[in-house]
Amino acid sequence: MSSHTDATRILGVGILGAGPVTQAIHLPSLARLGHILAVRHIMDVDPTVAESVAARVGAAHSTSIDALLGDPDVDIVAICSPHQFHAEQVIAACRAGKKAVLCEKPFAMNADEAARISAVSQETAVPIIVGAMHTFDPGWIAASEDWGELPEHAHTIRSSIVLPPNARFEDFATEIITRPAGAAPDYSDPEVIKGALRGGVMGLAIHDLPLIRRFTPDFKDVEVLEARHVRPFGYVISLRTPTRSIELRAAMNNTWKPEWSFEAVSDDAALRIDFTPSYVQAGSAVATLTQGTRTTVHGPFEHNGYEGEWRELAALATGEKQPPSAQSLIDDLTFALDIAEATVTHVDTRNAVVEGARA
Amino acid sequence: MSQYTVRATPEAREAGAITLSVASLPESFGPAGDYDNAHVHAIAGHAGWTTEAARAISAGARGVVVVNPAPEDTDDLDDAAQQNGTVVVLDQRWASNPAATAAEVAVRSMAGRAAVLDVVATAPLGTDIGALIADQLAAVVRLAGPLGNLKLLDRRQNGYTATAVLANGAPVALQGIISDARPASVNITMLTDDGGARVTLPDPVAAWPATVKVTGPQGELLVPTIYESAHRTTWRRLKEHLDAGTLPSDLRQFAAVSEAIASLT
Repeated sequence: MSSHTDATRILGVGILGAGPVTQAIHLPSLARLGHILAVRHIMDVDPTVAESVAARVGAAHSTSIDALLGDPDVDIVAICSPHQFHAEQVIAACRAGKKAVLCEKPFAMNADEAARISAVSQETAVPIIVGAMHTFDPGWIAASEDWGELPEHAHTIRSSIVLPPNARFEDFATEIITRPAGAAPDYSDPEVIKGALRGGVMGLAIHDLPLIRRFTPDFKDVEVLEARHVRPFGYVISLRTPTRSIELRAAMNNTWKPEWSFEAVSDDAALRIDFTPSYVQAGSAVATLTQGTRTTVHGPFEHNGYEGEWRELAALATGEKQPPSAQSLIDDLTFALDIAEATVTHVDTRNAVVEGARA
Repeated sequence: MSQYTVRATPEAREAGAITLSVASLPESFGPAGDYDNAHVHAIAGHAGWTTEAARAISAGARGVVVVNPAPEDTDDLDDAAQQNGTVVVLDQRWASNPAATAAEVAVRSMAGRAAVLDVVATAPLGTDIGALIADQLAAVVRLAGPLGNLKLLDRRQNGYTATAVLANGAPVALQGIISDARPASVNITMLTDDGGARVTLPDPVAAWPATVKVTGPQGELLVPTIYESAHRTTWRRLKEHLDAGTLPSDLRQFAAVSEAIASLT
């Protein structure tokens, strides 16, 4: 499953944003790939964080995007900043002539931004990938080479996510500095519920929406049947297209036991993929593919999807591999945005019905 | 030790694997030599089964086994069973699994602090969707109690999606999937803030054990597995009630399921 590059020199990495994801996910992943990649520059708006995180890997640090993009040692840029900055930073990285760009999901907040990114990527020929880590997981990739026509024939798709607090796994991966403070939301406020559901789709479900879209040819016709909030943070969202039933489940609570699964079922075949938790270097997903009476298990492999992303970036930067089509990235994004929007609209409609019944 | 004689309709014998179940309890049950005076009557649960069961009671049956009962009003039958002291047991696909007792304890003990209940039923191609909904609801009502605001969101050839709420307001998601690619079963997952319960009840075509796992801050407990099919468990329960002279609550519990299904249509 490896995609080792034949690069003659080690590629330099610059990271925009040095929060917990950078500290606990990307730096440990890159530490396993020192033969092909090295962190050269860390940028964060907090100079103390930038300096501290950069010192861990012997990299330069700054509080300026321009400084990082102007650093000739940086070949590959990873954008790990807050969502609202992604689009502009992706465009700036492309214009800076870097060899490849990784943008954490979502890579844009609307279709217009996505189209601008696509245009710049085409103009500059800088390859972009979005950090949908599960699409780079060797377990998923192995399953994709074996699942035959299941994506065309699946009628039921499920994504189930149960996660302990992030800190549990961050602390297994590194020593975090500057953990963001959490607030206790007021769930009696319908706007808070809507915000939580939108955040659930764009922050959590989005990890697996590209997987779901792979099995949903008519994804543009997605419709929300029901959307409910799960306390303290999570969702139960039932979707359908003309040919698919899609169920999204998530609960982030105080359990110690994570579960992260993707399932696709047709009349005569079924795929279940059990992913390892984020943050920890616990190897790949395990994919169980049943076709008729035969069951095939793929994995576990030694690395996870985050490391897979970095291997892919190295291969893109050296021209060993071709980038994904911009349209595919745009479709993934618009699929997520459509679901988020329809979810909020559904909640609005339901609230209006309840209010009407009370009047 | 009594041996109770058994008569069964061909449909019940087929659907309930009655020959196998009775043969596995040879000290307790045996075939009826005198068919008309058999102690136990086994019938299939197709439409009109309550009338057929009532006839069996009138004919003097001491016990009645109903295999895969379809939703029906059971009030009159329950009255007749009470008046005649007849043991009426229901052999349900998943709800009658021997692990359901432990699963019920696990699920109900955490229902008050549940965050979500997710229930997925899988059945092979050719399964009647209405029957699958009934089997799924029978299992979930057995484990979690009555559901509120039950509503069918989508129904198609290869499955369905339904929604409900628990008494504490937590969402309940129910899904049915028709596929030959997975063993027929129902998976019931209740999550709480710090753990939950996961129950898988298999089909009774073999003595596959159910799994009941309870997760909490201290770890995870797998409830001891029971290699007994729902069919055999039903017959064993019947024997215990007949010997003890007690009456089961199957019909009253089933009334809640019938009520839930009626609310869907």
